[in-house]
Amino acid sequence: MKIKKIIIGILVLGIIGAFIVYKTYNKPHVNVAAASADISLTADEILNDFSSNENSANSKYLEKIIEVKGVVFEINIEKEKGIITLKTNDDFGSVLCHLSDEATKKVNLLKEGQAVIVKGICTGFLMDVILLKCEFVSQ
Amino acid sequence: MKTLITFFCCFIFVTVSNSQERYLTKNGAITFYSKMPIEDIKADNNQVLSIIDASSGKMAISILMKSFMFKKALMQEHFNENYVESDKFPKATFKGNILNFDAIKQAAIKTQVKGVLTIHGISKEMTIGANFKKTKETIQVNGDFFIEMDDFDIEIPAVVAKKIATKIKVSFNFNHKPYKK
Repeated sequence: MKIKKIIIGILVLGIIGAFIVYKTYNKPHVNVAAASADISLTADEILNDFSSNENSANSKYLEKIIEVKGVVFEINIEKEKGIITLKTNDDFGSVLCHLSDEATKKVNLLKEGQAVIVKGICTGFLMDVILLKCEFVSQ
Repeated sequence: MKTLITFFCCFIFVTVSNSQERYLTKNGAITFYSKMPIEDIKADNNQVLSIIDASSGKMAISILMKSFMFKKALMQEHFNENYVESDKFPKATFKGNILNFDAIKQAAIKTQVKGVLTIHGISKEMTIGANFKKTKETIQVNGDFFIEMDDFDIEIPAVVAKKIATKIKVSFNFNHKPYKK
C-alpha cells in the first residue's frame, strides 16, 4: 500500500515536471499587440538618446516594448513586410519600424507625412534606431 | 585666385561624386543554420546594415545580435543571454575589401571579400566567397560560409551540446541601393 502511494506520488511529480519543461521549451514570443509599452516617447527623443550615448541607451531600451510617436518619412515593402521610416531632426539617423504581418496589411492606408504612433521591440542602433514586430497604436 | 576657385570646385565635385558612389542597404538579410540530427535551428535577421564604397571596393557590415529571430522564444533567449552575450556585445561587424571589384558588372560573378569579422568581441580575419552583381541602381551580394563557434569563444553547455552544431552555416543576401540624403 505504502509503495503504491510512493509510486503514484513520483508519477504525478514526473508528469508535472514534464509539463513545466514542455511549457518552458515552447514558451511563446512576446505578443507586442497585446502587451502595453514599457516606454513611450517621440522619434526624436529616442534617436537623440542613442546618438548621444549608445551604451546607456542600449541598457535603457533593448528588448523593451517601445511606443514611438513620429511622422512617416518613407514606406517600403521588403519581402512582403512593411518598413516605415520615421522622420527626425537628425540628417542621417531615423527610426526604422519593421512591421508585423498584421500591421503590414494596414500599410496601404498610410501616407508619407502622416503622424503615427507605433509600438515595437527595440533591438538596437545602427544608422537608425531599429524597432521590430511593430504594431500601429494610432494611424 | 581663379586657380583657387577651380581647385575648390574640383574638390567639391570630387567629394560629391564620391558620396554618390556609396551603395547601402538597411535591410540586408542574414540567416544562420545549425543542422543536427536531433534538431535544426534557424535564425533570421532582416535588419543588417551593409555599405559598399564603389570607388574603393570596401565593404562594411553591421549586425544587431538582438535582431536575430528564432522560431522558439527560449532559443532566442539562450542565444542572447548565454551564447553571444548580446548585452555585452550587441553588434557583430565585418569590414573588408572586395577582391576584383572592378570586374563586377551586370552579370553575376563569384569573387571574395577579405576582411575582419567580429562576433562576441572577438575579431578574426576571414576570406568569404560571394556572388556579386552590379547595375547603376543596385549592387547585389549573396553567398554563404561556415563559422566555428570556438573561433569566437562561444561556449555551448554540455546539456545542449548535442542539439547545436559547432559549425554554423551563415547565409547572406544584400541588395544595396545608391545612397542619397
